[in-house]
Amino acid sequence: MSARQPEAENATWSLPSGGELARLGALLFAALLLQTTVAPNIRILGASPDFALIIVVCVALLRGAQVGAVFGFLTGVLVGVALLEPLGMSALVYVVVGYFSGRYAETADLSAPVAPLVGVFAATLLANVLFATLQYLLERQVPFGFWVGRVLVPSLVLNTLLSAVFYLLVRRVLGGRGVLRADQTA
Amino acid sequence: MNRRRVLQRRLVAAVLVLLSLALLTLYFREADNGFVHRVQDGTLRVVAPLQEGSARAIQPLRDGWNWVADLFGAKSENERLQEEVETLRAAVAEELTTQAENDELRALLDMRRGRIFPKDVEFVPARVIARSTTAWYSTVTIDVGSDDGVAQFDAVVNGQGLVGRIESVKATASQVQLLTDQQSYVDAMVVPGLAEGLVAGSVTGTVSLQYAAKSEEIKTGQFVVTSGRQGSIFVRGIPIGQVESVGSQEVELYQSVTVRPSVDFRKLDVVMVVRR
Repeated sequence: MSARQPEAENATWSLPSGGELARLGALLFAALLLQTTVAPNIRILGASPDFALIIVVCVALLRGAQVGAVFGFLTGVLVGVALLEPLGMSALVYVVVGYFSGRYAETADLSAPVAPLVGVFAATLLANVLFATLQYLLERQVPFGFWVGRVLVPSLVLNTLLSAVFYLLVRRVLGGRGVLRADQTA
Repeated sequence: MNRRRVLQRRLVAAVLVLLSLALLTLYFREADNGFVHRVQDGTLRVVAPLQEGSARAIQPLRDGWNWVADLFGAKSENERLQEEVETLRAAVAEELTTQAENDELRALLDMRRGRIFPKDVEFVPARVIARSTTAWYSTVTIDVGSDDGVAQFDAVVNGQGLVGRIESVKATASQVQLLTDQQSYVDAMVVPGLAEGLVAGSVTGTVSLQYAAKSEEIKTGQFVVTSGRQGSIFVRGIPIGQVESVGSQEVELYQSVTVRPSVDFRKLDVVMVVRR
């Protein structure tokens, strides 16, 4: 902790470097392709894995709240465009998820191996509550039993199971520094 | 310095949330040719070819996955089909006893032989390039759009029957609202017979025939097709599915009819848009 203090003291947020942007762009592209072509074809217990959400959470865990929110917004907009969904819906959900996942990384101890799993589990719960709320506000059917049994629980299981693999992959792609802890930034 | 960082972080998040809400509001309030829709159209021109390529690339994997899933369901499916065949045999034998019912069956046969569409109807073949991943929407994206002459509300069919209708059209791609979507309603009738109603999807994926009068006799195994009534966007006789169950309660005005769709929506790949 103390070893990182000098870095934190001088830390001011700036745009990621060219290489970092390229890596984030590659992850964005991967999230888009996985979410729009692979995810719809995998249905377990009636639910599809949310690859975009998992990647947003992993990026946020590794790069913090600010990068997580921006990455979540761009992912949500692109997924909304590609699936011809109401634009802004996925963006809103992924911004919130990216921001809070990043805050989790900045304030909690991520050294435990289960930290990414906990992050994705909580993010999936939050995302599903937000999606269901938005559907309700748009006057679509949201039966509570169906939502819990056929949407929420399968999504929690699938996304959490996939999170460990994706966290390792995203960490490998991003490499470099991890996220700065809150006590080093605020 | 740190205080500035915290403020900056919160400001970025707040701006992005507001931007998302603005996009969402604009999307629902503006016309189909509004700014947000045009941005979506423009971006889709770039994204659609990528989706098409990756959809083709993943096709073998999808087929493999479906094959495994089918294998698990094969035994129970076989038993169910055997029972269904018996039910259908009995129903057909019974229905063949009157001339009026014969006419209906003839219409059904015509439909089966592909003679249900008027000669001037034009078909636009299309491939499914993306599907909705959430349970809240039953939609797919196909690789034809207004550049190919596709228009909103055109019917979409495949070899098995009615798939849905065009919900929104972009230049090179369109969104199809599937029969199973919770906001899908199709004018339908039960054949042989006179019962009519609205076939509606639901968030659970169940398809039902609503507003079927109690006075009409509906039996399990009967076919449900589009009624093509005046004002309907679908021509008469497109297969929708078969009656799976029929229920009726005294307190309700209409029968409760569950329909098993003809189309296997998991395996949608090539479809045809019926141009009006």
